[in-house]
Amino acid sequence: MSVTQRRLKATVMDADQIRRSLSRIAHEIVERNRGTGEVVLVGVVSKGDVLAQRLAAILTDMERTVVPVGRLDVAEHRDDRHLRQPSHRATSEMPAIDGRIVVLVDDVIHHGRTARAAMDAVMDFGRPRAIQLAVLVDRGHRELPIRPDYVGKNVPTSDSERVEVLVEEEDGVDQAVIVAG
Amino acid sequence: MAVGSRMRHVIESQQFPRSLLEELFVRAEEMKREPHRFMGRLNGQVMAALFYEPSTRTRLSFEAAMLRLGGLTMGTDNAREFSSAAKGETLEDTIRIVSGYADVIVMRHNEEGAARRAAAVSTVPIINAGDGPGQHPTQALLDLYTIRDELNRIDGIKVAMVGDLANGRTVRSLTYLLSKFKDIKVWFVAPPAVRMRDDLKAHLDEHHIPWVETEDLDAVLPEVDVVYQTRIQKERFDSIAAYNAVKGVYRIDKHALEQMRKYAIVMHPLPRVDEIDPEVDGDPRAAYFRQARNGLHIRMALLDKLLA
Repeated sequence: MSVTQRRLKATVMDADQIRRSLSRIAHEIVERNRGTGEVVLVGVVSKGDVLAQRLAAILTDMERTVVPVGRLDVAEHRDDRHLRQPSHRATSEMPAIDGRIVVLVDDVIHHGRTARAAMDAVMDFGRPRAIQLAVLVDRGHRELPIRPDYVGKNVPTSDSERVEVLVEEEDGVDQAVIVAG
Repeated sequence: MAVGSRMRHVIESQQFPRSLLEELFVRAEEMKREPHRFMGRLNGQVMAALFYEPSTRTRLSFEAAMLRLGGLTMGTDNAREFSSAAKGETLEDTIRIVSGYADVIVMRHNEEGAARRAAAVSTVPIINAGDGPGQHPTQALLDLYTIRDELNRIDGIKVAMVGDLANGRTVRSLTYLLSKFKDIKVWFVAPPAVRMRDDLKAHLDEHHIPWVETEDLDAVLPEVDVVYQTRIQKERFDSIAAYNAVKGVYRIDKHALEQMRKYAIVMHPLPRVDEIDPEVDGDPRAAYFRQARNGLHIRMALLDKLLA
């Protein structure tokens, strides 16, 4: 269901805020890891991979070296997969991650179940030295002991609301919105 | 004073523990996002605005905050000339009388320490809206809220305080608040004539907050997350020549923006004169108008905390 079909409650980030958040996260990744030499960005399908591409572009521009980017489809690893309709599988593409620092990128973190699934999925591809987590929006309500390393914006929400990130590449506009669930 | 999450008066920014700041910020965020949820929260309550010094935005944003929560406001603009103070009434007596009429008193006074004196005799909460060269705690709240809103964190941020640091009470109040957070680093960029006072530097040392004093803004710009620009206060200089020698030195313009990080923000308590070029206004990093707007929401959160 698209955003327009549900009740839009509030815009929590506009295009400028998203751009500046990604730029800040890029700086934080560089500071934390003392450069990007060992960093691999891995975006979680479907919005995380778009954001990972943008982060990679910013990092490449900042550090003058290309940062590898992967994309991850976590459908097989979700703990609720028996509840979900089988969907069109977006296939994962993963650069070499052995001994590297994998920065997982997703649009929204909520219960933390997608992040857990993504960590499992990454491990199927190799043994990274470390996994870090970057999200554009952290809406709280964690059900697992997971905390993102890089956060665009904390948006406290009620459990009945939904946070949706729209990206220009897919939705024609950059925006994070809260919609009634 | 704040005890746990209880708060009676708002006198100085040191009184806010981190937990209370966080509570106010979350509430302000909710009020900004869904204002209709808070309509009528302060139905029938009355705020008195007692201003012994001129103010436009602080006073109007407090009044707007009260009205938006369903409360009522009354006040006097020029309390020194047009109240019983002109007849020789003491501040203490004025507060005793007004606290019989209102549920909260917002006060700006020309003397440092006036808010504390008022709180000592008031039967309703006193909010310090600036006491001479002392403090302006609600400005510091909105400044810190803006930093958190723009950068999503306060711990670990690097701030350049620029301009007239000797006379700016907003810079003082904000720096006191920042000292409650972790891994903060502060640059004081000021002409020698208006450097940050030593008491505040000592306070930072006590709280293990590293600070650097410099006159070289260009060297600092690429390092920081926040550029907090202030007006060089002409009236504080001995001669016009001395003022003219420094007034244009710290100007935030396109060139300065080029030195800054892509996500860093420019703040200013306003009013500005020419220390921020209007050509900066269109850049997404220009946060000062958003900052001013945040004053409404943080003051709504504060009134709600004190009165609801």
